[in-house]
Amino acid sequence: MVHRQNATALSSEPTTPSRRRSSAASSPEKPPGPLSITISPEERDVVKVNNYSVSELKNACDDALKRYLSRPDLFKQIHLHTDVRLVLGWAGVFTAAATGLYGWKTDFEKSKPGVWVGFILYLILTSLQTLYSYFVEGDTIFVGRRKTFSKRIMTERITISSRTLPVSSSKTSSQPSSTNLPSYSLSINYVQSTSGGKSLLAKGRTSEAKEYSAFFDEKGVMAQEVFERWVGELVEAVMEGKGA
Amino acid sequence: MFSDELKAFRRLGFRHLLLQVLNFASVMASGLMLWKGLGLFLNTESPIVVVLSGSMEPAFYRGDLLFLTNPAGERYHAGDITVYKFPGADIPIVHRVMETRDVFISFENSTESRIIKKRLAKLKFPPGEHQLLLTKGDNNHVDDIELYQGLDWLERRHIIGKVRGFLPYIGYVTIAMNDFPQLKYAVLGGLGLLALIQRE
Repeated sequence: MVHRQNATALSSEPTTPSRRRSSAASSPEKPPGPLSITISPEERDVVKVNNYSVSELKNACDDALKRYLSRPDLFKQIHLHTDVRLVLGWAGVFTAAATGLYGWKTDFEKSKPGVWVGFILYLILTSLQTLYSYFVEGDTIFVGRRKTFSKRIMTERITISSRTLPVSSSKTSSQPSSTNLPSYSLSINYVQSTSGGKSLLAKGRTSEAKEYSAFFDEKGVMAQEVFERWVGELVEAVMEGKGA
Repeated sequence: MFSDELKAFRRLGFRHLLLQVLNFASVMASGLMLWKGLGLFLNTESPIVVVLSGSMEPAFYRGDLLFLTNPAGERYHAGDITVYKFPGADIPIVHRVMETRDVFISFENSTESRIIKKRLAKLKFPPGEHQLLLTKGDNNHVDDIELYQGLDWLERRHIIGKVRGFLPYIGYVTIAMNDFPQLKYAVLGGLGLLALIQRE
């Protein structure tokens, strides 16, 4: 695989007032990575979470990642997992409501077969939703796709899953130290193909973890530029085809 | 306090709002289905009732929680505590069975009725679907004939179930929510707010 050296410098100053596109002219084969499209600071909302709740930290990181990678010219998020969960969940809610209404309106003895049907249907829908969530969706937080029309139609597909690595209990010291903090672990899977997915151009996979304390200060305000830089570097690395 | 949450909602989009409302709705749906499922398995319209009057003292006091079952073929005996409700009455009544009577159905076809009578004679007691009952509260002076809306006997179809167990005092929560509807709406509103704001 021949890589063209990308001549664009990583824009590290957050004070640029306007968006700058990457010099796509220098590498027509290569689609722009997330680091090359900057965000002006006025467009940011402040993200503040409860520092002591690991689930809030993870959710804030997940949301920031989704916002970062869904910007124009970057990936378009595929909402399949969310939609399946919404459809199954709301179908279950409506079945339960219909069954409840039917049971309330009709005599108990007459309503029994109907209520059985509704109950079994609800159980099926709920188990389907749980199984899908556990097996198919798993830790995935972002599935994105991008089509670029440079010389040929190139499709990229990126799948990102994240989880929290808890504080390891094998460390001998019982008091919290700076080396013993919960971390955010990202796994990225990247496929680049063309002509409708038939020929594979690039494939990359990477995984990295970093402590939450690198992204959140003591008040719980998120340093979004730091986080985005880390994510951008990981995504660009995987777009180059590094990793297994 | 809420401006942060509203900003978060606007940022995260419509799907996120649907997901959060789904959180709340699915909690309610699972509670409802648990209740209905319990009713189906125990064959009773209302497997858990609250004692509302003092007519069964000293056995049950107002505010006790009662657990009922109603197996289909089961016979009721004198001394059982049943919960019954007439269609059109607001509240179920918890009283003890004083007497029972059995009703036999005659069939047009004589051969059929002979076979059935033979089968029934083999059982120690006939099945309970066609029992008639007379009830009275332990703390009342008279039996319940006044409450039967013109009938002389309570029929099996009026009975919600037989009391199998109870928990004291817990029913006061339900009584409070019925007497003060604002409490009910406050609890529901609080639950809803919590479910909408919390992420999984």
